[in-house]
Amino acid sequence: MTASRGATTDRLPDAQVRASGPGGSIYDLGYQGYEGPRLGREAAIRALFWHTVRSCYGIGRGGRAKIAPFTLAALAVLPAVVGVGIAAVAAQSGEVGDVLEGNSPIRYATYHGLVSTLVMLFCAAQAPELLGRDQRFGVLPVYFSRALARLDYAVAKVLGLIVSLSAMVVIPYAVLFIGRVLVAPDPIEGLSEELPSLPPLLAQSLLTSGLLGTIAMAISAFTPRRAYATVGIIAAFLIPSIVVALVAAMLSGSIEDWIVVLSPIDVLDGSNAALFDARADSEAVRAANLDPLAYYGAALAGIAVAAGVTIRRYLRIAA
Amino acid sequence: MVAPDMARPTALAGRVQRARDGTTNGTVAGATAPVTLAAMPLIALDGLTKRYPGGVTALDGLTLDIEPGIVGLVGANGAGKSTLLKLLLGLIEPTTGTARVMDLDVRHNGPAVRQSVGYMPEHDCLPPDASATDFVGHMARMSGLPRSAARERTAEVLRHVGLYEERYRAIGGYSTGMKQRVKLAQALVHDPRLLLLDEPTNGLDPAGRDEMLELVRRTGSEFGIAVILASHLLGEIERVCDFLVAIDAGRLLRAAPLGTFTEHTGVLAVEVETGSDALAAALGARHLEVVADGRWVLVAFGGEGTYDLIRDAIADLGLSLIRLELRRHSLEDLFRDEVPAA
Repeated sequence: MTASRGATTDRLPDAQVRASGPGGSIYDLGYQGYEGPRLGREAAIRALFWHTVRSCYGIGRGGRAKIAPFTLAALAVLPAVVGVGIAAVAAQSGEVGDVLEGNSPIRYATYHGLVSTLVMLFCAAQAPELLGRDQRFGVLPVYFSRALARLDYAVAKVLGLIVSLSAMVVIPYAVLFIGRVLVAPDPIEGLSEELPSLPPLLAQSLLTSGLLGTIAMAISAFTPRRAYATVGIIAAFLIPSIVVALVAAMLSGSIEDWIVVLSPIDVLDGSNAALFDARADSEAVRAANLDPLAYYGAALAGIAVAAGVTIRRYLRIAA
Repeated sequence: MVAPDMARPTALAGRVQRARDGTTNGTVAGATAPVTLAAMPLIALDGLTKRYPGGVTALDGLTLDIEPGIVGLVGANGAGKSTLLKLLLGLIEPTTGTARVMDLDVRHNGPAVRQSVGYMPEHDCLPPDASATDFVGHMARMSGLPRSAARERTAEVLRHVGLYEERYRAIGGYSTGMKQRVKLAQALVHDPRLLLLDEPTNGLDPAGRDEMLELVRRTGSEFGIAVILASHLLGEIERVCDFLVAIDAGRLLRAAPLGTFTEHTGVLAVEVETGSDALAAALGARHLEVVADGRWVLVAFGGEGTYDLIRDAIADLGLSLIRLELRRHSLEDLFRDEVPAA
């Protein structure tokens, strides 16, 4: 700050006086050099990552861009608030409360089913803008001619979406978790009761946001047209699960059971059921009855393949 | 000053051609030999070749050193100008050969090179829903500037290119001239040492063209940023550049200081209001090689004494002298003559 002020003053004698009067003078300082730090590639990646996270929620984009993401995020938190309310009532109702609690539809294990559709909608709404906009308006050459490499651009954008999505998944879990701890008759005891749920919550959050986010980005990377990407993302999420349900209904064998790992929705349903030791929502997942590791492995493999496809696309895209 | 229309057929054409040949042999090599201009050149190209899939050869064995200054890169559309700029940025990879910028190999040190290089693409590259401030500020950070510095630089550079209150409005509502200014601003915001401009006056009206060229000239000459200006318009190159690289069909046609392209032709042009024929005759009688051409008398320049002879002849005849100037080549001549021959 001080340095740049100094530089300005140093240059004043050279400056052209443009206009002067009793009120003072206006100086045309002209072009100023920059002597400050250049933080290089890593700083550029970090800046693009945070820019992506902000754009996901329409921050810095004007009011209308915020409507969709904030509505979806609010809808995702809403059940958690209700769930805390139920827990509060249950905590004060003795035995009746235990029954109420046991039958509450809003628990850690069921939350994935409540938010996964919202996460998919968020992907379909935001991922095409994150990548398609720069392709549509020819901005890529401007990015690739800076401190960033092509790889960095793709990685920063994909990570940006994943983190935005995980915020959408983690915040409701956190509301539920903190709420349940606070409404417990003894908060310390409540904390020790809730703590074992923390690792599966985090694991499921990462798998959900990672798998859905990378798939959405892989599809968005291939078209500058927003509408095509949105339709493509929804199709990529829904069609495999429909096909899997049909196959599961018609055939039943050990080979056919493995087809569920090709459907992202079913993979996440399976991992959620395994992590929380709960009943899967999907008929096909229940019928397949695969080892939990199959779902974790399929989710991680899906993330790797989709991220790889996106990166490969950006290494080759014309700019 | 560059004399207009030197292609007028005169008896001195042979002499003009001789002067031109001298230029070619003296300072510049052909398409394959290197042109060394400085100990450590800003840009060093060695056998740079780019073939696109499908067999189109955009650049063909370009070997050339470029020193700092305002360098014009001229050639017809499709000559390989944009391809060369993209290779210098590492936006595309060469098929063979190497490109070094500031002594760094572009292929292996892309981010390091690009941190000190600014690029203004030929085509639209601006998101219409962003404001100039947001876009340029974001691009400053993409070049590695800290947040506060990015903000300050953005304000400064937008003022430098002449965008004031409108910089807070969405770019979609800008005129072509304003958009070109934003494109220049994003290329300058990180204070690069080298600025690559691809047809910066594209789509501008004559006034906008003048302003853009003046900005480029000021940026290059007053602020010490090396500039490579790619254009198919020789007039633009002539106005702002001090060094010229001409490429044609991916090969180097010539590379030399602009002065050698427009150097003296050895022809002294004398403009008189009337009596050019009488003057020509009088000068002929003083053993000078002379051609009368309308109000102009073209005299073969033979040293300082020639001026005295002309002065005396005009004084003797009582003519009114309007102008006396050494004619120079114009760029158009060179291209007109040499492009078809290449």
